[in-house]
Amino acid sequence: MIRYILKRAVSILLTFVTVSVIVFLMMHAVPGGPFDGNDMPVSKEVRDKLMASLGLDKPLYVQYFKYMWGVFHFDFGVPFQSPGETVLQLLARAWPPSLILGGLGVVIGATIGILLGIAAALRRNSWIDYIASTLATLGLTIPVFVISMMLILMFAVFLGWLPAKGWDKPNSWYLPIAAYAMIPMATYARYTRSAMLDVLNKPFVTVLRAKGLSERRIIFQHVLRNAALPMVAVFLPMFIGTATGSIFVEAMFRVPGLGAYFVSSITLRDYPLEMALILMITMMFCLAYLLTDIVYALLNPRIRFGGKS
Amino acid sequence: MTQATPRQHGPLYFAWRRFAANKAAVVSGLVLMILVLMAIFAPLLTKTNYDEQKFLTDAYAMPSSTYWFGVDDLGRDFFSRIVYGSRISLTIGFSSALFSVLIGIPLGAAAGYYGGAVDWAVMRLIELFSVVPSLLAAMLLGALTGGGFFTIVLVAALFGWVQVCLLVRAQVKAVREKEFIRAAQALGASPGYIIWRHLIPNSVSPIIVGFVLAIPLAMMLEASLSFLGIGVPPPLPSWGQMINVGMNFMYFYWHLAVFPTAALAITVLAITLFGDGLRDALDPTLKGR
Repeated sequence: MIRYILKRAVSILLTFVTVSVIVFLMMHAVPGGPFDGNDMPVSKEVRDKLMASLGLDKPLYVQYFKYMWGVFHFDFGVPFQSPGETVLQLLARAWPPSLILGGLGVVIGATIGILLGIAAALRRNSWIDYIASTLATLGLTIPVFVISMMLILMFAVFLGWLPAKGWDKPNSWYLPIAAYAMIPMATYARYTRSAMLDVLNKPFVTVLRAKGLSERRIIFQHVLRNAALPMVAVFLPMFIGTATGSIFVEAMFRVPGLGAYFVSSITLRDYPLEMALILMITMMFCLAYLLTDIVYALLNPRIRFGGKS
Repeated sequence: MTQATPRQHGPLYFAWRRFAANKAAVVSGLVLMILVLMAIFAPLLTKTNYDEQKFLTDAYAMPSSTYWFGVDDLGRDFFSRIVYGSRISLTIGFSSALFSVLIGIPLGAAAGYYGGAVDWAVMRLIELFSVVPSLLAAMLLGALTGGGFFTIVLVAALFGWVQVCLLVRAQVKAVREKEFIRAAQALGASPGYIIWRHLIPNSVSPIIVGFVLAIPLAMMLEASLSFLGIGVPPPLPSWGQMINVGMNFMYFYWHLAVFPTAALAITVLAITLFGDGLRDALDPTLKGR
């Protein structure tokens, strides 16, 4: 058991380090540097001095190790595009709107999705099953900015019920949350339905029915609990996915969050911020997968006792 | 004296029967066919080319009998741009799906056939692609190569092969245990020969399914990158980029936002439903997964 977890942890750590090297190399391979912009042209001497003061004139491997050394001490450097604060301060300022909207979206979407999935599994081939599968297909196929556009056109432009953009008024939160909620809702409707159907066909459910348990208790106490494992596994990756989703949702709804920095850090060659953002998301994905592996190992005796999985 | 045997049907016949019973898939197939024809015969359907600014005096004109989808902000017939947009979207979708398959088949087949260290290496590679936020990496790659049509095809393939690889790997792993593979090995066939002559032909259904399901992913990536302004360079008509422009005018000139949004949504939905139908028809055991 401990050996298994250690093995997974080492493998995930290797993946993380590989990603950090590749991203670092790619980032610096992009032509142009942070001071090549046209809006504030600087002479070559000034640029060289600036580059030297930021350590950008050193060989790449030196820069990489220096940056990663900082990362292990929670020092992600200073963003070039706003030098008055550290990367961590920028994140502390810009992340909350994204986290609030994304978090609410995922929680609400997942709740609706689970309910839809249960209803669809219990009433197979009924109208609710068709609605659930249609919504699931829509949410999983259509890009989030197209969904946002549809929501804006419908509720803000044609009906005029809700504002299309903003962050300060509470009623401007509804549409971005709905946009964030689509993917979790679709994913959960699909997962819950298939997980429920898997469990409902197991012999122990027949035994419970024969025992005379009420259908409600069978569903909520036994079936749902057994179907929960695959549903727990997708939650964290989905929540992390809202971070990249924020690029589009926040651009569409003009929310002052983290989204815009993903794009600007790349276009402005803002190396510290770019590296910090990509590393944070990669790290969160790594931790989420590791956590999932551990939970699975704890719950699944076949892995726990070192057998074949 | 010939004995009357009942008519035999091949597996393709049953696959077709299952596909035809799926109404959503059949309708999507028809929509997809219309879209492909539209893309091929775009010059016959439209009055102007996609980049001709012929109607500058009528810029922002609403949809009418002269301009079916209106005129955009730069005086171009919007119907022409939407129709030519299907060329961009479908070309990128199909060609990057093709590249995804070309990367996914050898890796998946090797991982499934050899197992052990090869499988471990391929699975680590897949793990690598699953922890990297694909959109950010695609943006970075786009910036690295300066964007452009062919770059997007390659970037989409780079992130699209994983699914094909996993499907092929699972199929090869299952077929490898069959007796005829054992027989081929006993006769001294080389691994390359076995993979090429026996395992890949037996993996045709997952390959087709993987190919079709990789198309909408690539189209979405292209639209997303173009929406952010780092995809297909203008004046090439990309629906994603048109949505980005239309967003600025949606309160007054709603047609500039509605038509590209609808075109992209319909196309992606049609291909996905068609692919789902194809998967259920070719391999009923995968249904609902």
